[in-house]
Amino acid sequence: MKTFLLIGSVVLGGLVGLLALALGLTLLAGLIAFVVMGVRSPSKLTMLLRMAWANLLASRINLVIGGLIAGGTVVFVVLGSLVSSLNDSMARSVVGSVAGNIQIYSAKSKDDVALYGNMGGEPDLTAMTTFPAIKEALEKHPNVKTVVPMGVSGAVITPGNVVDRALERLRALYRAKQGDVVPALKDVPADELAQRIDAQKSHVRQIIKVLNADAQKAAAILADKALEPEVAQALARVSSDEFWTGFDADPFDALEFLENNIAPQVTDAQMLFLRYLGTDLDRFQDSFDRMEIIDGARVPNGQRGFLIAKFLYEEQMKLKNARRLDKINTARTLNERKIATDEELQRFVKENRSQTRDIVLQLDAIKTKTAVELLQAELGVAETDLSALLTRFFDMTDETFDRRYAFFYEKLAPLVELYRVRVGDTLTIKAFSRGGAIQSVNVKVYGTFAFKGLEKSPLAGATSLMDLMSFRDLYGYLTADKLEELKEIKQATGAKEISRDNAEAELFGGDSQATIVAEATPGIIDADKELTGAARKLRNEDLIRRVYTSEEINSGVVLNAAVVLKDPSKTARTLEELRELSDREGLGLKAVSWQQAAGLLGQIITGFSIILLLSVLVIFFVAGIVINNAMMMATMQRTAMIGTLRAIGAQRALVLGMVLLEAVTLGFVFGLGGIALGALVVQLFHAIGIPAWNDYAYFFFSGPKLRPDLSPTNLGVAIGIIFGVTYVATLVPAFIATRVSPLRAMQADT
Amino acid sequence: MANSIVSIREVVKEYHLGQTVVPALRGVNLEVERGEFLSIAGPSGSGKTTLLNLIGCVDTATRGIVEVAGKDTAKLSERALTSLRLDTIGFIFQSFNLVSVLTVFQNVEFPLLLQNRLGANERKARVMQLLEQVGLATHAKHRPNELSGGQRQRVAVARALVTEPLIVLADEPTANLDSKTGQAIIDLMRSLNQQKGTTFIFSTHDFKVMEHANAVVRLADGKVLARETPQEAVQHVLGRREAAAEASVGAP
Repeated sequence: MKTFLLIGSVVLGGLVGLLALALGLTLLAGLIAFVVMGVRSPSKLTMLLRMAWANLLASRINLVIGGLIAGGTVVFVVLGSLVSSLNDSMARSVVGSVAGNIQIYSAKSKDDVALYGNMGGEPDLTAMTTFPAIKEALEKHPNVKTVVPMGVSGAVITPGNVVDRALERLRALYRAKQGDVVPALKDVPADELAQRIDAQKSHVRQIIKVLNADAQKAAAILADKALEPEVAQALARVSSDEFWTGFDADPFDALEFLENNIAPQVTDAQMLFLRYLGTDLDRFQDSFDRMEIIDGARVPNGQRGFLIAKFLYEEQMKLKNARRLDKINTARTLNERKIATDEELQRFVKENRSQTRDIVLQLDAIKTKTAVELLQAELGVAETDLSALLTRFFDMTDETFDRRYAFFYEKLAPLVELYRVRVGDTLTIKAFSRGGAIQSVNVKVYGTFAFKGLEKSPLAGATSLMDLMSFRDLYGYLTADKLEELKEIKQATGAKEISRDNAEAELFGGDSQATIVAEATPGIIDADKELTGAARKLRNEDLIRRVYTSEEINSGVVLNAAVVLKDPSKTARTLEELRELSDREGLGLKAVSWQQAAGLLGQIITGFSIILLLSVLVIFFVAGIVINNAMMMATMQRTAMIGTLRAIGAQRALVLGMVLLEAVTLGFVFGLGGIALGALVVQLFHAIGIPAWNDYAYFFFSGPKLRPDLSPTNLGVAIGIIFGVTYVATLVPAFIATRVSPLRAMQADT
Repeated sequence: MANSIVSIREVVKEYHLGQTVVPALRGVNLEVERGEFLSIAGPSGSGKTTLLNLIGCVDTATRGIVEVAGKDTAKLSERALTSLRLDTIGFIFQSFNLVSVLTVFQNVEFPLLLQNRLGANERKARVMQLLEQVGLATHAKHRPNELSGGQRQRVAVARALVTEPLIVLADEPTANLDSKTGQAIIDLMRSLNQQKGTTFIFSTHDFKVMEHANAVVRLADGKVLARETPQEAVQHVLGRREAAAEASVGAP
């Protein structure tokens, strides 16, 4: 794909270049001829101009040609400004979000960096082990503002289901009651703890009631496919009053029974795939102006932390019903779609009606009562079953949608948890390290973020942000903490480090009794050497609160780094200079522009530009052919006039000049008209904005609306192309005109 | 011969229509002296226009010698022929052939611009003087389509004379005009011929026009039948017509 694009663009570039050269030379020759004529005989040039001007509107063919030129120019100006605006906005988004102007990574890497992922997973990058030195070297370049270290990886998390969360809260309450230190419940008095325990218990019973009802429904429909006996027994047990009256006798035992037997029955727990960018968060948040915190706050300086991409947060972590309501709302307000006529929206409504269980399960008895009352009032019905009420509520039409949408967020949303992961939660992220061992870290979610302009991009919106320390932990690289930990272990076990060269001797020869720790790939930790159990857990809690110095963050490996430039217009030159710098100082770096670093996304942009460029070329090619034809006809119609001029003493060169000048004048007048009209259209588009009709358009537009801007370069190119195309298209007819014999004057019948 | 402005010797002109060779002129000899007001007469297809084309340097002879203003046209390049036309010859066409998008003034000025010898003021003076002479000074800013046929032909006369050529060629200058207007054009040409001594060569088959010439060259079937006075020519032509009429009356 890449090679194809490369070859394609080289061939295309070559052709365009040759064409431009030929065109330029002819234009130059013509220009010189006209200048010479202008100097030697200004009155002759004036006369030709006068004739060209007078001829402009005299013939219908000229009007056709003029219309074509004007139309072509309008298309060119409008399309051109669309392309450059698209390109600019994408460039701003990409550069300002993750890529920076230039990306660097180790020259030893197998793959090229692909910030938004590539087809076939994450690229295999070799870590840069001497990042602080690299950073220092690069930041000496006068155009380099900063270098931000990065690394991209992915992990699976399981945020747990509604029963798990309810049981977890109940467990915490009991632990607090028992006297354990539970930070969140530290200041809650004993009587309130008891009340909360009751409420929480009633919530669990509510869930069991719903599960029971589900089971009975299933049994009624499919007698033989009813619950497995153990599950049925467990359900019967936890539904009984005895279970609950005896609960307080051994709450932890009862909780365990519920966790093991009941929680698995609720299948809303989804594994979530998280793609994250490990980076120096302080520097990242300061360097990328496109990044904005949507919920919560930025990760405090020097601390570990996690920021979830808003797109992912909404798409994957939000309560499905709410998400669907949001989608309907966007479709209705932004794209003026109607539930009545739109199949997708009808499907959303249908799914919302049938899938109310997520909400019902979340509500305890008190909240259920509140919700029922609210819905009864809103819908004006006496129905008492929450599920039935919700079904009725979600049965929305274009008439009721806006009101109910507002009602949902004002009244119902405060009763439920809208997101499966909340700001402030601590996520346990498990991932395979490079060495193949499973690593896990706990990171606190400080908030959600989005990149301005890429809010709806599934590519850009799929990547969350993580501090570099946690990233290195997960990736299996040494961090400041690991180094300390290793030291402790080594001291405890009496291990000593030996070099690879001496390993054999140390192992099989000599009389060393010490445990041997082989020196593995530098920087990769051996999972066996980790602390386990309670010590590990304690350490994790410390780690969350630990503040790291910038030096600690930077020392250690990084996979790639964004280079942010002071003057982005000099990107190409700086890129070259950085490559030279790397060669000179032996940094072993590969440096690529943001377009290349954007991977698939960069290719989409390039492809899009090429397509639009090609279509513009085709338009003008066709226009050129039509102009050529029309000019030919115009010449044929005027042979008598041309013959007369030749008879009374006009040289061939004058005839050539006359026809060319006429075409160029035509191009100039109608081209300028087209430019004016095109500019007007662009301004109009700019004023009203072209709305993104779907998510793809939103992505390409880098926002809900595309507001194209006129670029002076664009207009200049438009004028150049019009002149070129008209001129070249007229060369043949003009040459034919010079062949008209003066004899034609004698045969004239006009 | 020393005074000849046009000298044509043993000129043959053949046209090729596919495989067929159509002879238009078959060995024409003609000497035209400076200041003549010469009419070329003859029926359609007799070679009048071909002869004028050769004299006007817009066509070349198949064989024979055509000398215009002392230059053998066969030896001149295309470019030199064009220059010769510009500086030596003025054309008046049957269909006027004015440039429709230019004004009367601009049409007349055109050959001067091609010559590029006079400054703007001199050009203007020259053009206006000629327009006075043809009686169209007040129409200088009109477009050709705003003029009558006679007026247009007068503009054409002015254009033909503006470079002060040695020879003015007119191919059936009155054919598209009514007789009265045609008469006026011929009178104009004649007076300019007398004032400036410009040689006029015009083709016609109209007696009234012929009568103004100081000599008539009568052509038939691509050959010069005679060079005679207008009266002789008219009688010849009339005689032939009467004979033809009698023959047709007398036919059974």
